[in-house]
Amino acid sequence: MSLQAGQAAGARRRAFRKPPPRHRRPPKRRRLVQSAGLVAMGCGVLTTALGLGGWALTGQYTWFGQAGQRASSAHPGQAGAGRVGIRQPGSGGRRRHAGHVGHAVQIPVPLGLTAHAPGGASQRKVPAPVRLVIPAIGVNTRLTPLGITSNDTLQVPVSAAIAGWFTGGPRPGAVGAAIIAGHIDSYSGPGVFFRLRDLHRGQGIDVTRANGSVARFRIIAVRTYAKNRFPTAKVYGPVPDPELRLITCGGQFDYATGSYLSNVIVYAVLGPLASKRSGTPPR
Amino acid sequence: MAGGNESQGEIRAHLPAFGLAALTLGLLAGAAPASASPGSGWLRLAHLSPNTPAVDVYLYSFHNSNALIVVHHVAYGTISGYQKVPAGEYTVAMRAAGADASSAPVISATVNVAPGAAYTVAGMGPAKGLRLQVLHDRLTTPKGKALVRIIQASLRQHQVTVRAGHSVIARNVAFASVTGYKVVSPGTWNVSAAGRTEHTTSTITLVAGTIHTIVVLDDPGDIRLDDLVDAAGSKIAPAGGPATGFGGTARRPGNSDLPWAALVGAGLLLSFAGYRRTRRPVGAHALGGRGPSATA
Repeated sequence: MSLQAGQAAGARRRAFRKPPPRHRRPPKRRRLVQSAGLVAMGCGVLTTALGLGGWALTGQYTWFGQAGQRASSAHPGQAGAGRVGIRQPGSGGRRRHAGHVGHAVQIPVPLGLTAHAPGGASQRKVPAPVRLVIPAIGVNTRLTPLGITSNDTLQVPVSAAIAGWFTGGPRPGAVGAAIIAGHIDSYSGPGVFFRLRDLHRGQGIDVTRANGSVARFRIIAVRTYAKNRFPTAKVYGPVPDPELRLITCGGQFDYATGSYLSNVIVYAVLGPLASKRSGTPPR
Repeated sequence: MAGGNESQGEIRAHLPAFGLAALTLGLLAGAAPASASPGSGWLRLAHLSPNTPAVDVYLYSFHNSNALIVVHHVAYGTISGYQKVPAGEYTVAMRAAGADASSAPVISATVNVAPGAAYTVAGMGPAKGLRLQVLHDRLTTPKGKALVRIIQASLRQHQVTVRAGHSVIARNVAFASVTGYKVVSPGTWNVSAAGRTEHTTSTITLVAGTIHTIVVLDDPGDIRLDDLVDAAGSKIAPAGGPATGFGGTARRPGNSDLPWAALVGAGLLLSFAGYRRTRRPVGAHALGGRGPSATA
């Protein structure tokens, strides 16, 4: 009975199915469509992730590959520019660039005659600077000596990760304006002075000298100048008290010449901070 | 430094000056926080009258009877460091050390501080003829050169000739006078000051781009030189602004967000379409088990 009933039901179903409705897909095709949908969804999610990732990266930083290509043609007008293979510090460990970060990159670095170490009366009692600390923007770097390039520009640190002090100027803490320069960025990411423009008046800068003594400066101004209107006299000219200038790049980047169009300069004077405390706690 | 003879008048550390500087700095920080640098100048104070006892020096800003700075017991030979002060008119007054602040000053002078300019206000001359002299201090040097001027504050030797090596910086400088700045080639010099009966020598290094004031002072039994760095800059000013960036964080001009937005959009669309594909037929199957009414 039950078998018969089952058979009958089966027959009925088969009979019902026999004339297949035109608009219905066979199960095989349906499965195909389903899996295609799944694949498409997967692809879509991947594409979205890719797009978001790329967007986030290029929103702030350029492609490493493009930068690498530029390296061979950058600084065309820089006579006497040498090329130095340097290890770029990982820029925040971006996963997409993980394979590239840490690779030696050929970048042009202006090389030239190094100015003689100063030995004037103003420098007599002040040892050479060795370390720069700017608590407000998390800078803590050793300082490398900088001279003048063969085309009379200020030498810049070979690595974007450290700052340098100009040996042709007064030493930090001596009478006069000491000069410390650092890169805003490398080819791949932020440099030691990336956040220099975020500094403002009243914040502190500490320079440690070779004998361990610390000269504490107070920022009095942060200014941005177009490179063709660089205030040479204001930056390098004589001043009667111990001052400090921090220099980096800023403004628009000119891809044709491979350089920024402006300089950011932080002006600071030796002296205690204006806070109630005697100073900022050392980091 | 370069082997200057200590006993013979090697440049002294400006200990009293340093104290004065620290004092004025502390007072200024409280009284008149150095305002925006473009609107400020520099002032330094000096006691250069050999036979005048120590004084209290008062600095008043114009139209203010409360002293901005009071420095007690400033003795002969004391020269403060420069203090940044807001541009404007100031009065410098000297009273005998310990004299009442409201008492009439022994001497006073007015100095108009221009923005970006530096001044030395020095008590000079003999005690009987004490006067406050306002010196305008230079802040620029010819390219690659140093500037030197002489303040003759020795009463022991009324006339002094100062030489750097063999070349004369200033000849027969009279007591209580100040020479103009003289251009000197940078280098380490044996600077000598010779009076009629006494002379002294100091080794002084003049760096290009620095401005010095050399003060001839009386010492017990001798004269000596004090080398003050009025101002210092870079030996050579590098050309233009330094190339401190490689563009790794710069925005590329052609690098708009559009392609990425399009990619994200396309991805989302694809995901959505795929999702619908996977859902729709399943739904159709569930319904279609019961009848053909399901639409594909």
